[in-house]
Amino acid sequence: MIRVAFALARREFVRFMRQPHRVIGTVAQPILFWLFLGSGFNASFHAPGMNGVSYLQYFYPGVMLMMMLFASIFSSITIIEDRDAGFLQSVLVAPVSRMAIVLGKVMGGVSIAMVQTLIFTIAAPFLGMPLGLPSLGLLILAYVLSSAGFAAMGFFFAWTMRTSSGFHAIMMVFLMPLWMLSGALFPLENAPAWLHAVMIINPVSHALVLMRGPFYMPPAQLFADQRWLLALVVTLVWDAAFLLGSMIRVQKREKGAPA
Amino acid sequence: MIQIENLTHVYPASRKTPARTAINNLTLTVEEGQFCILSGPNGSGKSTLFRILCGMSLPSAGTIRIAGHDLFKEPGKARAELGVVFQSPAVDKHLTVGENLRLHADLYGLSSSLYAERLSEAMAWTDLKDRLNDKVDTLSGGLARQVELAKALLTRPRLLLLDEPTTGLDPASRRNFIEALHKIQRERRMTVLMTSHIFSEAEDADRVAIMKEGNLLAFDSPQTLRSRLGREMVVLQSRGAVVLEGRIRADLHLKTRRHGDEIRLEETDNGASLPILEKLLAAYRDDIDSIAIKQPALEDVFIHLTGPQKSDTSENGEIQ
Repeated sequence: MIRVAFALARREFVRFMRQPHRVIGTVAQPILFWLFLGSGFNASFHAPGMNGVSYLQYFYPGVMLMMMLFASIFSSITIIEDRDAGFLQSVLVAPVSRMAIVLGKVMGGVSIAMVQTLIFTIAAPFLGMPLGLPSLGLLILAYVLSSAGFAAMGFFFAWTMRTSSGFHAIMMVFLMPLWMLSGALFPLENAPAWLHAVMIINPVSHALVLMRGPFYMPPAQLFADQRWLLALVVTLVWDAAFLLGSMIRVQKREKGAPA
Repeated sequence: MIQIENLTHVYPASRKTPARTAINNLTLTVEEGQFCILSGPNGSGKSTLFRILCGMSLPSAGTIRIAGHDLFKEPGKARAELGVVFQSPAVDKHLTVGENLRLHADLYGLSSSLYAERLSEAMAWTDLKDRLNDKVDTLSGGLARQVELAKALLTRPRLLLLDEPTTGLDPASRRNFIEALHKIQRERRMTVLMTSHIFSEAEDADRVAIMKEGNLLAFDSPQTLRSRLGREMVVLQSRGAVVLEGRIRADLHLKTRRHGDEIRLEETDNGASLPILEKLLAAYRDDIDSIAIKQPALEDVFIHLTGPQKSDTSENGEIQ
């Protein structure tokens, strides 16, 4: 199963790298977003309990999350193209486990998202946010776990969709609010109570906690931090749920009505 | 190799369309090593049957065994015996020929050495040798089809399913494709089930199945099917075919079948055709655009079996 998943994931990655405009687009957009918004808000930003943290610094993991979110989710859009182009049918008739089909797509999405976010991670030390090797390891773990969850979620929704423009529309309506209410743009602490509640049940905000942790705390402290551990568990459950849900969708064969 | 028993498939009703029976209680056995053509007009249910056979959808009722494995209960085992060539391309156009073949080998768990061996096998019968590093996108239609076939054959399937594989090919490429397929089929004693509209492709088959409206109308060797129509028939074209048909029946008491502007007299025994032709010409010279004596080909059997039969429902299925 792993071999099949790797073969499919490698295909995703090769395809991605052969479309340079996709690479440029997904990296450039969040960086511009970050620079423009971050520079504008820099002067007026004061987060409670985060003295000395500039908005460019605060917003940095949030942009990273956005990059990760969009790269992962939209990598699943290729399932719609695969179906249209006919490639998918040859995978479906192959004697491969249906989970391998899901994992192949998800791992492909994760690897694509990783390339982009790792490029962006190079900026961290220059922002005055240096990372030790163990912290970097945890950060990468956070990337992989949250990216897998988003890619699997994208797969789950893309599976039954027939057009990629429909997928775009639905995902924008759905994802932008999730991301805005994750704490990426502004700290949760200042928000009104109802907004705070939304943020708490929002899985994207847990992914953000997971990613932001390594920047502010050493690894040993993180594993003792309840908030961070909760985020870790929520993200793992999220991954498992959407991987499983996607597999069930792939497994399901169109069935004739009772005669 | 394929045992289909009492297969029925009904498409569920939706808001706009009522439920539709695509396959109606079909029973069919394809023996190992046979080259079998599945034919039928559009909407006959052959595409639905193809989808079910390659394990992409589940029927309403019935069973299918492929190489002894129940396709619905043990899909993995049945799939492993199966190679499929779809009507639409099923390769990744952005990858090279070699990358596509390699990916397929990975999907079926071929080892590297086995893959290398099968690849050189494929290079022997295809024209892809110099194109392995080219993207599939850049290939001609004929070569792209070769990639599809080579890909399906990499895994040495015992059963190869093909869905109108020569659609969109020019006649020369089509013939090359079919010849290569026949050659490999004989060498490997592979079972082949191919849907096709093109009867020149079916003449060399071991068995031809003809479907219409979900029913199996015929399943036999091409020779036997052709002999159903006798050895000769008279075919004439006329712009006033409806009227003329009525007159031939009334005046000459001959059995006719009409398909559009064409009238066929199929019940003409050897030697009887020419007198009939002369009689027709003498009587209706001005109404006839063209007239000929034909030896029935598979296509004629197909038209006979599947054509509209409203003009002589009484003779429905008489020659069967």
